[in-house]
Amino acid sequence: MNKFAFISPNGRVNIIRIFVLIALGCFPLLQDAYLLSQLTVFLVYGLFAMSLSLIWGYGGILCFGHAVFFGIGAYIMALTTKGMIPGMTGIFTSTLFALLLSIAGTALFASILGYFLFSGRLSGPYFGIVTLAVAVVAERIATKWDYIGGFNGLTNIPAFSIGGYEVLDPLVLFYVILGICLILYLISDRIVNAPFGTILSAVRDNEDRVEFFGYNIANLKILIFSISAGIAGLAGALFAVAAEFVSPTILGFSLSTEVLIWVALGGREILLAAFLGAISVRTIEALLSDILGYYWILGLGVLFILCVMFFPRGLFGQLLSNKPRN
Amino acid sequence: MADLPILLLNSFSYILVLILVAMGLVIIFGLMGVINMAHGEFFLLGAYTVVMTDSLGIGFWPGLILAPIIVGLVGLALEYFCIRFLYDRVLDTILATWGVSIAIKQLIIIFFGPAGLMVNPPLPQLVNMGLIEYPAYRLFIMLASLSVIGFTFFIFLKTDMGLAARAVIANRNMAASLGINTRQIYRNTFTFGSALAGLAGAIMAPLMSCDPQMGLGFFIPAFLAILVGGTGSLSGILAGGMVVGGSDSIISYLFSPVSSQIVVFTLAVIVIRIKPQGILGTKRNE
Repeated sequence: MNKFAFISPNGRVNIIRIFVLIALGCFPLLQDAYLLSQLTVFLVYGLFAMSLSLIWGYGGILCFGHAVFFGIGAYIMALTTKGMIPGMTGIFTSTLFALLLSIAGTALFASILGYFLFSGRLSGPYFGIVTLAVAVVAERIATKWDYIGGFNGLTNIPAFSIGGYEVLDPLVLFYVILGICLILYLISDRIVNAPFGTILSAVRDNEDRVEFFGYNIANLKILIFSISAGIAGLAGALFAVAAEFVSPTILGFSLSTEVLIWVALGGREILLAAFLGAISVRTIEALLSDILGYYWILGLGVLFILCVMFFPRGLFGQLLSNKPRN
Repeated sequence: MADLPILLLNSFSYILVLILVAMGLVIIFGLMGVINMAHGEFFLLGAYTVVMTDSLGIGFWPGLILAPIIVGLVGLALEYFCIRFLYDRVLDTILATWGVSIAIKQLIIIFFGPAGLMVNPPLPQLVNMGLIEYPAYRLFIMLASLSVIGFTFFIFLKTDMGLAARAVIANRNMAASLGINTRQIYRNTFTFGSALAGLAGAIMAPLMSCDPQMGLGFFIPAFLAILVGGTGSLSGILAGGMVVGGSDSIISYLFSPVSSQIVVFTLAVIVIRIKPQGILGTKRNE
């Protein structure tokens, strides 16, 4: 720490931010098409992790079923662009409209769910496990529902297109998704640094006191839950385009678990740390999972336990925090 | 109409096992404020203990006795090596036990493989009950679960140990300042609750195909039963277990397992919205 004493904490965080952006932006220079397509998907996972960090790290809402929003976004994207939603043709099957529909659909679903749960004053662990149940049930429904592809899911999802121009070049797709991640990062960063974000952190730290100040806790939670779900839905929609398939596994239990691990390992209290957590875990997994096989998940589970016990702020969290170590 | 009594008996045995699982969860939660996410995996370990003794040729019954002992010891180890460091950060225990559940599940996959395994039926004969013939093993399940549930209620309501535990539930700090060793009680409770899950797993093993994902299939309904019944008292669990377990088994018989999951889940969410303290209306202990 002392080595960097001449740089203020804010300055250090900004330097890391710019460094990350440059590193990601320069990645295509490696000229490896396979790695590039992998990293495109990892960026989407990073965006997804960031949405979880928004409610978990800042709002203190533990969500064990966050993949449900990712999956719903992905399915809405796939069904819309494939023209499988009855009555929607022409302009309504365009990528842009499908993206908006994915965000709106997941946010709406989250606000309805949030209305029932938060107004029932469900909090902490209770809320987490109910969302876990949502994910498990959603995965079952998607597996049994033949119209949306059942167990096999949907393939041949049309390419990303902007105003009639189809993005077929993986390089362009990579930069489009990187750009969307950057915009969403800036928006989320704005949200958590705005007065609303401050109230949110206050809710996380002491719900009763915030309530005494006259705020409606349930509405605050529903709002941030819907925003986070909307971002997760957008990530899901981008996943459908980048990976060119959707299947019930992206809707359920295992992805929900994975995203929780990424965010916990990266650092749940910092958006960028969560984003980097997802990308680094996925990268290491891509390198090692062939060698380690079943032991990879075992190791990840053990690492997760150790991280919760000894590094609750995550591996990148401390580095990117502009608050002093406590 | 010979189906109806069988359906009722089947759902009754399911309800009892569900209550057994939920009871382990709720006493750990009531006492320590810890939600043990690895509870489903303790159930899984219990079931695989039986799978192991069965395949070793020792048979089912020694496994049934071994399962709560082994799983209780695993619970004790978990408390000793992990949970006790997190008592001042209770919300983090849910994450740590979540990690434990991932690790246990993966260990089972490494040792036994991901496929489902069957246990030889320990009591294959049917019992003539007048109207119907009913599998003897299911009757044994009801008897065993009922006695374990009764035993747990006895411990909590009639013994000194139970009195101390209830004192800790009512007011942790007051109990501690009256000289009750709360840490000791936490450890005993965690071990006992884990052993209950192990026993439930061992009991259910011969009735289903044992695969590494089965723990979750009991953890979620058990948790919903707790939410529906309320966490304030042990008797809430009986009501919650009956509502969740009963509707689950009846709807999956009439329609399909998937629709029953959807209905039970929706039901639980609506109950949470209308009666946040559970259907018995006891105060939630937070």
